Amino acid sequence: MSLEPLAPGRLSGRRKRLLLILLQVAIGLLVLGVIALLLTNLQVNLLRRGLGLSFDWLGEPARFPLSRGLLPYRTEDSYAWAFVVGLVNSLQVVVVGLVLATILGVVGGAANFSSNWLLRQLASLYVAVARNVPPLLHLLFWYFVVFLGLPAARSGVGAVAGLLRLPVSVEFVALLIGLTVYTGAYISEVVRGGINSVPRGQWEAARSLGFGEGRTLRLIILPQALRAILPGLNSQYINLAKNSTLAIAVGYSDLFSIVNTTFNQTGRSIEAFALLVLVFVAVDLLISGVMNILNRLVLRHG
Amino acid sequence: MAESPRSGPRSRQLLLRIRRGLFASPLDTVITVVLAVLCGGGLWSFLHWVFLQADWAVVVENIRLYIHGRLPVDQVWRSWSWLGLLGTLCLVTLMPAGMLPRPVLRLLPLLWILILPIGLLLLASGLGLEPVKSRFWGGLQLSLLLTLGTILMALPLGILLALARRSSLPLLRWLTTGYIEITRGMPLIAVLFFGQLMIPLFLPEGWTLNRVLRAVLSLGFFVAAYMAEDVRGGLQAIPRTQLEAARSLGLSPLQTIILVELPQALRTALPSLANQCVASLQSTSLLAYLGLIELLGISRSILGNPDYLGRHLEVYIWLALLYWLVCILMTSLARRVERSLNVTGHH
Repeated sequence: MSLEPLAPGRLSGRRKRLLLILLQVAIGLLVLGVIALLLTNLQVNLLRRGLGLSFDWLGEPARFPLSRGLLPYRTEDSYAWAFVVGLVNSLQVVVVGLVLATILGVVGGAANFSSNWLLRQLASLYVAVARNVPPLLHLLFWYFVVFLGLPAARSGVGAVAGLLRLPVSVEFVALLIGLTVYTGAYISEVVRGGINSVPRGQWEAARSLGFGEGRTLRLIILPQALRAILPGLNSQYINLAKNSTLAIAVGYSDLFSIVNTTFNQTGRSIEAFALLVLVFVAVDLLISGVMNILNRLVLRHG
Repeated sequence: MAESPRSGPRSRQLLLRIRRGLFASPLDTVITVVLAVLCGGGLWSFLHWVFLQADWAVVVENIRLYIHGRLPVDQVWRSWSWLGLLGTLCLVTLMPAGMLPRPVLRLLPLLWILILPIGLLLLASGLGLEPVKSRFWGGLQLSLLLTLGTILMALPLGILLALARRSSLPLLRWLTTGYIEITRGMPLIAVLFFGQLMIPLFLPEGWTLNRVLRAVLSLGFFVAAYMAEDVRGGLQAIPRTQLEAARSLGLSPLQTIILVELPQALRTALPSLANQCVASLQSTSLLAYLGLIELLGISRSILGNPDYLGRHLEVYIWLALLYWLVCILMTSLARRVERSLNVTGHH
């Protein structure tokens, strides 16, 4: 909705249009001027440090070690390959995290509607605690306290990794659990809101048809709640993808930690940052795109 | 005469309610028993750990560091007086509106804006005191300072962005929409990293900004994009009739925005704006990885001390408690503001 200027018309339509165009030209020039000023400063500063903008260094060997991931990587490989490895590591934790956080969130959100008093209290305690602690602290807790503090947890991860024949590291699991628990709390609030939006009569109708609590939820309530849940899920998924960059705190080699190391080695902050922005815009668009398709399917069949 | 369960004696009602709430079906009973055993066991081992195994020396011996960071001992009173002022302001704000004289009530917003420069003056150089370098600022105090600075910068910027996004000038609309959407898609730690390392590159030669200011700038620009969306939601919720009424009263577009639209939009957006404020506090913890010794940063360096090897859990529980308390405080402040706005809204 665009707002028409509401002033009593002192100006004729044509004059007004001219004025609006002039105003926009002025804004455009102002923005361009600020950008030009910043770029000049940047150029002066980069020249002073003996760095020009270029992407040639991407082909040079990276030389830093990475934690073990899905893709093979040796220290002689190029920066470009290190970025690819980091991107795959990021995507790995985001995709698995999305699935686990959704499961935890749906269970947590549905638990609010259980007839069991203890279960309801536990569900709201979980949300209250998990949401009021910074996500970074979640990760640090799982990494330093659970996985580095308890040898049993560490050997458990090793055993699972051996069983699945996957390069699953302690860092990966700590990051995954931390993100899952934090995002799960937000998703369970989204799910709770969604279930609340389903009319109470639906529960009563299901009960009078002889449905149990679990079946009512699965077959009757959740499918209807999905409409209200999906938009909220979309933003939580994007948050999870963004929070995966906190990997730097537990030493998991995700894309951002590689950008960070690259900057420390080469001083190429602008170029590395530009790559990061591009990747994140792409990941956000991808998540939103998939969620929009899901949303359309739900609206059509729901 | 048979008593129906509802009118039965109290104890029997309670018994019935417990039965319905916890042991309604065999499955329910199993769930309750399993959960109760798990909760009880967890609580027991947690309390056992807290009182018998945990070594709280890492918290107790460093309490000054957690609160003031590395402020020189003889300067700590400056930090205390700021925290005292801030605490008093919180208490006054939380008091029921009826207990406060009107002028104080009217001054409150101004006091909240002034508390930040007062803190900076007390800490930095003003008031004729010996300056403390920004790298000595730290602990809870720095976290609060960063949070306040971020909110005071992000809120006005967010309001302007929201208004610009709804402007009738297409260019302004495109620019702000692009800014808001791209910023909201970026991970915060990347934005802060950008702020710390790249702001100096964009400044004219010879200009410098200290780390704390760079952090507030980048956090403020980031949070503003989120607040803009909350304010926009509030603006969209205003009924069209309000705008028509404003026009028929002969208000100019600017007057309409300031007198009619913003007050209503901000009241609607207040709960989500409060969430953003709480999120800003939590976000300041990321700065621990960019060289600031705010609450988490100072804890990291305390944990690096070999005397406190492996005392992570004690420190993290203490930190979680502190963050949680400040979050609760912020939420109740927001509720208080919300209530007072609703009261004035009805008159």
